[in-house]
Amino acid sequence: MDNNKTRKKFDKTIFDGLFMKNTVLASGLVVAPIVAVATTLQSAIALVIAFSLITFLTVLISSFVPRDIVYAIRIILYTIIAAMVYVPIAVFADSFMNQQFSSLGIMFPLLVTNSLIITRTEIHFFKLDKLRMLSEVFFYILGFDIVAIIVGVIREIFATGAIGDKIIGIHFTLPFLSTTFGGFILIGVLAAILKKIKLIVRSHS
Amino acid sequence: MDVVMNAILISLTAILVENTVFSKALGTSTLFLAARSRKKFFAFGSCITYFSVVSSVIAYFADYYFKENEYNYIFMPLVYVVIIGVVYIVTLLVVWKLAYPFFLSIKKFIHVSAFNCAVLGVLFTNAMSGNSLVEYIAYALGTGIGFIIATFLVSAVYEKLYSEDVSPSFRGLPITYIYVGILAMAFYALSGGTITL
Repeated sequence: MDNNKTRKKFDKTIFDGLFMKNTVLASGLVVAPIVAVATTLQSAIALVIAFSLITFLTVLISSFVPRDIVYAIRIILYTIIAAMVYVPIAVFADSFMNQQFSSLGIMFPLLVTNSLIITRTEIHFFKLDKLRMLSEVFFYILGFDIVAIIVGVIREIFATGAIGDKIIGIHFTLPFLSTTFGGFILIGVLAAILKKIKLIVRSHS
Repeated sequence: MDVVMNAILISLTAILVENTVFSKALGTSTLFLAARSRKKFFAFGSCITYFSVVSSVIAYFADYYFKENEYNYIFMPLVYVVIIGVVYIVTLLVVWKLAYPFFLSIKKFIHVSAFNCAVLGVLFTNAMSGNSLVEYIAYALGTGIGFIIATFLVSAVYEKLYSEDVSPSFRGLPITYIYVGILAMAFYALSGGTITL
């Protein structure tokens, strides 16, 4: 019976993080990096690595910040922790993946104030027990990662007619997709598709 | 006179050509929060402007001190976060002590308006431009005003975007994204951008 309950809770965690409460497409959080940076598959992968490491490690370490410290100080500590987590990741990126990470530009250090850290930690993640919190953070991040990759691939294919070095034989290109406004419109369409799927699932269940 | 004209030009550029939301997408999540309330969007935007300007002034001296360091790209986020943190705490204490009713009205969103991509983005953009102190302030002010304009444009139609006139699949967040995209396209054209469709 308990196993069943745990299983159901875990399924809900996966379903919410990836689908129902998707960070970008359903909650409207961490939008800037995807719109500004995920214009190619390569930059999307660099973004995914940077975002996932910074966010997961920051939330994990921040969860040890005592709750009896006043909120105004706690929020500063979370961002300081994020900025400190950024240091080894930036050193790693500079040493091993310089070309890929340079495509992120200033968006790379700006990830330390992403809204998953600033808003979701207090109102959601830290209200859960540690294990549940870590699994939720993982799937919320994974939800973001999937959207970043999809957006990067779509924008690269339809804006340039190629993916990486491989030219894809499509008969038309939409160069506006690599712009900021193209990014917003594409995410809007993807958010509508996700919402439609959710409506269909709801009507069948 | 030249300094004033230059500052005005930098501010106008930050408002129209390099609008933080419409041209760089910085602070979009914060904009979605601010646009929910027509009454509070101006206070929200003003807080962002305040944090951008005051943090920029302090960051100017930090940039000057650290600009020769070859590893500054690694620890500058930490320096900027500490600067914003100090400004945030001092502001909270002053407002709490001197204007408690005002403190109560802003306490729900002041942390989001201090720690976001728009404010931190101003500090990084200023550092890269290597401008003077007046130009730092002008760019920060322009970014804040640009954010207020962006929030106003979304806030003005917020209820319509969530109304039943919009088809269920697009209602709410999806149509808001598309609307912001169309506004970003208009700002792109305003700044002289062209693109082949």
